[in-house]
Amino acid sequence: MQNKDKTRRKVLIGLTSAVGLSGLPFAATPFIAAWNPSAKAKAAGASVKLDVSKMQYGQQIQVSWRKQPVFIVRHTDNSLKSLDLSVSKLADPNSDNIEEPYRGLNASRSKSPEYSVFSGVCTHLGCAPKYFPEIEPKPWDATWKGGFFCPCHGSMFDLVGRVFKGVPAPTNLIVPPHMFEGSILTIGEDKEL
Amino acid sequence: MSEIAGKLFTWVNTRLPIANTFERHLSKHPVPSKVNFWYLFGALAAVTLIIQIVTGIWLIMPYSNTEEQAFSSIEYIMRDVDYGWVIRYMHTTGASLFFAVVYLHMFRGLLYGSYQKPKELVWIFGCTIYLAMMAEGFLGYVLPYGQMSYWGAQVIISLFGAIPYIGESLELWVRGDYYISGITVSRFFALHVVALPLVLIALVFLHLVALHEVGAGNPEGVDIEEYLDDDGVPLDSVPFFPYKVLNALVAIGVFMTVFSIIMFFFPEGGGYFIEMANFQEANPLVTPDHIAPVWYYAPFYTMLRAIPDPLGGLIVMAAAVAIFFVVPWLDKSKVASIRYKGIYSKIAITLFGVSFLTLGYLGTVGVTEIRKTMSVVCTIIYFSYFLLMPIYTKYENTLEVPKRL
Amino acid sequence: MMQQKLILKINYLIFLLFFFSAIQAAEGGPCKDYGECDKFKYSLNDIESLQRGASTYINYCYGCHSLKYSRWGRVAKDLQIPEDIFFENLVFDNSIKPGDLMVGAMPSESADWFGVMPPDLTLVSRYKGDDWIYSYLRAYYEDSSKQYGVNNLVYPGTAMPNVLLTLQGNQKLVCKDIPIIASNGGEQRDNNGDTVYKEKCGFLEVEEGTGELSKKEFDNLIYDLTNFLVYVGEPIKATRERIGWYVVFYFLIFTALSLLLYREFHKDYNS
Repeated sequence: MQNKDKTRRKVLIGLTSAVGLSGLPFAATPFIAAWNPSAKAKAAGASVKLDVSKMQYGQQIQVSWRKQPVFIVRHTDNSLKSLDLSVSKLADPNSDNIEEPYRGLNASRSKSPEYSVFSGVCTHLGCAPKYFPEIEPKPWDATWKGGFFCPCHGSMFDLVGRVFKGVPAPTNLIVPPHMFEGSILTIGEDKEL
Repeated sequence: MSEIAGKLFTWVNTRLPIANTFERHLSKHPVPSKVNFWYLFGALAAVTLIIQIVTGIWLIMPYSNTEEQAFSSIEYIMRDVDYGWVIRYMHTTGASLFFAVVYLHMFRGLLYGSYQKPKELVWIFGCTIYLAMMAEGFLGYVLPYGQMSYWGAQVIISLFGAIPYIGESLELWVRGDYYISGITVSRFFALHVVALPLVLIALVFLHLVALHEVGAGNPEGVDIEEYLDDDGVPLDSVPFFPYKVLNALVAIGVFMTVFSIIMFFFPEGGGYFIEMANFQEANPLVTPDHIAPVWYYAPFYTMLRAIPDPLGGLIVMAAAVAIFFVVPWLDKSKVASIRYKGIYSKIAITLFGVSFLTLGYLGTVGVTEIRKTMSVVCTIIYFSYFLLMPIYTKYENTLEVPKRL
Repeated sequence: MMQQKLILKINYLIFLLFFFSAIQAAEGGPCKDYGECDKFKYSLNDIESLQRGASTYINYCYGCHSLKYSRWGRVAKDLQIPEDIFFENLVFDNSIKPGDLMVGAMPSESADWFGVMPPDLTLVSRYKGDDWIYSYLRAYYEDSSKQYGVNNLVYPGTAMPNVLLTLQGNQKLVCKDIPIIASNGGEQRDNNGDTVYKEKCGFLEVEEGTGELSKKEFDNLIYDLTNFLVYVGEPIKATRERIGWYVVFYFLIFTALSLLLYREFHKDYNS
């Protein structure tokens, strides 16, 4: 009798604890999920549209997508050609180390051969690199062929946002999903992706 | 590994009385071996308090305490925040059930004399908790800034205006504006989420410490401390763990079943938990057709309405709550439990219960001539229960209380 | 002794029952001159009804009444309408994105046209109730004394014209001769055995052939519209009730197990 009681107790304790504990993840779900971006945040971060046909050749502009800077550069033929000049300086010229949505499509890394679209957030610690398109010696690089230089910690990127060797930034600047409908660029959405 | 854990425990325990406190107040804490369901509502109140605190913290995050945003931020929680509706309905259901559980807990106290010597302080801390809860509930109800929030607050704040001389300036001071505006909402918000919860938690702590000092009661009104075993533990007691924990677990199971039925199927509680008019944004220019307080204030609201003079009403309403504090000194009976009290006490508590429920019902419906009379009658019964207590408890015949449980 | 206690308790209950029914006096019907509102039972799992309701709302109501707490994409998703079809057929403004709120198309000076700003209706099913909406939209009648030539039994003097007039047809308030019910429950008859009639007013009747829809079709249209408003008042409602079953079931099992465990341990000190 005594023995039977003990088994019964053990089984009941086991069952009750199992049922009780199995409820915890469910109880925690609403509280964890409530921290996800809300429908409002998602709507605000959906996508931005702009007309890029008014941009001048060689011009770089910055748009805000999800309250983060995104750089758009309209390349000249010369600047596209000059990209090859600094390939030897690049750490990851083919973007093999990151998720690249349009790898190998265009030299510009975007869906358009003429425009580059990439995040303006340095992959090192999140500063915004600055655009220096001129081919001239710079304090940070005597053989500068044009590109982006981050004033915070000296990271360098070429004109299409690829990172140089031996700088603090670990990877190329990230290319967000985007699409062109004529000259209308949509950042944050790509129907073909 | 377990050796290190053991060492760490010893290190901490020699500096902080963990084991002792745990044994004294939880695992080995002796509780009467025979109690009934009335003794479970305290544990349920604690569970509800925890639910309110956790869901409350999560609601603060998306809520906006401005006049323009307060109402829409509630809809934002209900629609745009993932599972926001679960958290909000838990909070609204929890608020109503908190009061339900506390009312039953208080009635238990009246039934079984849980205020009698030496439990006076336990009772007084409890009454203070109830008072703080009423304030907390009221402030919280204003935050969604719907029509009932606005007009309910309007009525309650106007009560201050009934105080002679300082009334009007007090009203203005409480609102901080000429109407209940965003300024009012944001100060109510601060009080609701920080000030009063701190007070409540401190009071609950005191309530429990005092309770553990004098020991829990039982429906027989027997003093279990009279008969101890060789270790000084009362013979009619069991350790808190596992026996009372299991008892509470059953209660929590039943309670949570009821809780989830309400929360998932009747979150508005038929308009008593979330009033229909509160789905309309506050409009200072349009009074809703039918203003009723939330059900848990309804009995006191009825008393307020029963008295034609605002100041008189305010005094009666305040007295109705305040009178609970002096119950330990009104009860002159030799016995604690209703089981051994005389017939007068039994009639008195029945009439009291009926009048309290009736007052509650009357507070949620409109006024008619007969209802007005009923309110007055019930208010008189309500107060007679307390004010006549020294007489009927002293002169009635009581039964003999057994020595053991 | 036990029995006596039970009888006492039953008496007590009966007393309470009488007591409460005595003070429960009748108050005016919630639907004003209409009396009691017609009962409405929502069916949020009837997606097709919701889709029809949404379409009616957007075509007939959305021009004046916004749904400003609701988002276009959410409605499309919940009503299982593919986003491209939804936007092509129901959203006429190209600049609207799925994440946008349904803030309405009404310029703010519209308050002057109607005397009041047409209210946002996202939560109308929650502050008025579904019964009320269902009755209100079917209770318009011809009344030439009013600005738009119509009045409403549920909401006398409503500022809203009957937008659905062409569908419903001309509804009039008529008087009818109805049989008087005798005290025995049957129809009252006079000495010749003929039924006694009495004229009673306040009946709504649609003029034959004036509306595009039959009475039944129109009622269905309003049913779907009301159903949609119930959905939009609380989009999570159907999900909520579905999850609820699982949660309640879980706690029942938990209660049962803990009860068994409690009884098992109870033996230790009460045998």
